[in-house]
Amino acid sequence: MFYLRYLWAELTRRWSKTLTVTFGLAMASAIIIVIISVSQSLSTAQDKVLNPLQNVGTDIIVTRSVDAENMAAIDETSRNDMMEDNSIGMNLAELGDPGEAFSKDNFMPGSMLTFDAAEMDNLNPTLVKEAAAGLIMTVMHQEGTVPDITVDITTGGETFEVNEDIEPMTDGERAAQDAARTKAEAELKERGVDPRSHEGMEYMRDAMDAAMPERFRQKSMTFVAPSRTYRQEVGPIETNISTGNLTVAGVDTTKTDIGLILPGQVTSGAWFSGADQVIANKAYADKKSYALGGTIELGGKALTLVGIVEPQLYTNTADLYLPLADLQSMSGKADRINIILVKSTNAQSVEETSTALEDAFVGAKATDSNDTAKEVTGSLVNAANLTNRFIGVTSIIVIAAAFIIVSLLTVFSVNKRIREIGTLKAIGWSNTRIVRQVVAENIVLGVFGAVCGIGLAVGAIALMNHYDISLTATVANASTDSPFGFARRMFGGETDASNSTTTTVQLTVASTYLTMLLGSLVAIVGSFVAGTLAALKASKMKPQEALRNLE
Amino acid sequence: MPIIKAKNLSKRYQQGNKTINAVDGVNLEVEKGDLLAVIGPSGSGKSTLLMLIGGLDRPTSGEIEINGVNIAKISDAKLTNIRRNTMGYVFQNFNLIPTLTAAQNVEAVIAKRTSHDRKRVMAVLQQLSLDQRAHHLPSLLSGGEQQRVAIARALINEPDIILADEPTGNLDSKTGEDIIRILADLKTKHGKTVVIITHSEYVKKFATKVVEIRDGKITPTR
Repeated sequence: MFYLRYLWAELTRRWSKTLTVTFGLAMASAIIIVIISVSQSLSTAQDKVLNPLQNVGTDIIVTRSVDAENMAAIDETSRNDMMEDNSIGMNLAELGDPGEAFSKDNFMPGSMLTFDAAEMDNLNPTLVKEAAAGLIMTVMHQEGTVPDITVDITTGGETFEVNEDIEPMTDGERAAQDAARTKAEAELKERGVDPRSHEGMEYMRDAMDAAMPERFRQKSMTFVAPSRTYRQEVGPIETNISTGNLTVAGVDTTKTDIGLILPGQVTSGAWFSGADQVIANKAYADKKSYALGGTIELGGKALTLVGIVEPQLYTNTADLYLPLADLQSMSGKADRINIILVKSTNAQSVEETSTALEDAFVGAKATDSNDTAKEVTGSLVNAANLTNRFIGVTSIIVIAAAFIIVSLLTVFSVNKRIREIGTLKAIGWSNTRIVRQVVAENIVLGVFGAVCGIGLAVGAIALMNHYDISLTATVANASTDSPFGFARRMFGGETDASNSTTTTVQLTVASTYLTMLLGSLVAIVGSFVAGTLAALKASKMKPQEALRNLE
Repeated sequence: MPIIKAKNLSKRYQQGNKTINAVDGVNLEVEKGDLLAVIGPSGSGKSTLLMLIGGLDRPTSGEIEINGVNIAKISDAKLTNIRRNTMGYVFQNFNLIPTLTAAQNVEAVIAKRTSHDRKRVMAVLQQLSLDQRAHHLPSLLSGGEQQRVAIARALINEPDIILADEPTGNLDSKTGEDIIRILADLKTKHGKTVVIITHSEYVKKFATKVVEIRDGKITPTR
């Protein structure tokens, strides 16, 4: 066929034009494929974060949460439970002797009150397809040295010295003494008592004492002891006691498709397989530099780190995960749970199920995906909002721009051949034949462009995925409410600033066949339409005008 | 009956607000087997006259008959047929399709390729001593060779009329004379009617009829 050989000759012998047009078409279709793929991937990533419940096979979360808003309204049972759940005492004297090291973990459910695991039986089987229990607790970890808190203070033992000169006796006083002695001797002689006998000597002394001047007999004086203050620094008793918070969750290991974490979310290591095992949140393990197979001390037990998990239930993440029974016994909360993950029997009846669940439990709060979505903020949400808002406009602009590029390239290349078209007319080619020839060429160029465009797009997407593009989403986290934050909120204070989890979502761009088809169609249809219009215009020219057109 | 007959043929252009009478009331008759030489300075309207005769342009007024058919009034489709079957064109710039070989340029006119057609193409090329150059692209051919390919292309459908618009304009004088002789041979050996627009005095040696055109009007000189 002459037409095909002519077509092939045009494409191969004007190879620079062919390459330019093909490249332009390829760029246009690649841009469309990439833009659409990125925005689709963004909305997939957004769904993952905005509806974290579906990541763990859940429609509704049931908790008994207390917060500043509903403090006043909670019932007596809940109030008592809350007090009991969150009371901790610390008697320093019980920790050991001063100077001994100690380590103590206090388990508290915080604002998520516990309830009896038996309440799971209240779940209505017509509404609930599957449910998993969990226990999420804040651990206040304290460690340090038992402080010395007694101080011994000894006072007294001071010596005071007093010196005073006393006036000597006057002659009269001496005479009075002599007179008193003489009188006493005479009296003793009279009674027949020997003055040298014991009795006589006593009598004599008394008589002489009586005659003694007043100042020798009595001395009275006031003495003030100097005032002293004893001070000893006792210091704050927690001098070397450090306090740390972490969140621990008990996982219902009887379920593998619904739960706080799922076996599929373990990124390295393994799922629980025995006693004294723990799985750590990747973020927490990184922060603490925990290694798989290492030992983590918790509640007085040495646990083996068997796995690292990236939890997908962003509203209720924990730092460490244990089998539910292990955490219950460790924290002294036997048969207590504080979260139930519920899979509804019917995706359409989630709201109905929520209401039924709230009615079935005392003080229960049912949270579904609509509620969790509202708690998410961050760059991912911004990016997704941006794409959602502009996707229509952006796509139209991109497709229009691609069409313009394609049309300009085509019109440009056809215009360069006006004289050739004039020659073809002169040698007897009909308009139909000319248009058919040019259009066929442009369809082939469009197909080349589409194929190269798909290649370019696949390459660009691979490159984007090679350079990790991460977006963050911040989720208010109910379970990491620290006791202090909780206490502050109980008294109407500010929410704990650290009471949120920032999740990083890896943007994995994937293109679908449909997207590639759309991108290809832009190149092919654009080339076809523009080629046809340009060829029609050129063929309508009078041959003489076309021939005058200088190349 | 003359094979070409122009009756009061005019072509006017509007250039700005000035009207240009490119061809102005031309009356002309060419008999079958004539070699008509149209001479005249640049811009005198020679090329426009040739376009009108060849059905590549339509007159503003007047008639132009080819074999007794007034082509000024017929449909584009019929005009295309006449161009294909009755006319062969040779241009100053050769106007070969640059991506096609010499043989393919000739084939483009018939646009199909049976073994008979292929033989015909090769025969025409051989007739113009181009059989060794048949599979070369125009860019690899000399000017004279390119013009011979153009003549071969004009001949392939065995038209009655060959129209040549300054066929020697882009050639050196020696090559130009060769081309003129080839065109003259078409008249003498093949009985074609040939119209040549030219500056070349050499054509006059072979012409059966010479007209000079000036400001769109012709004056017969022979």
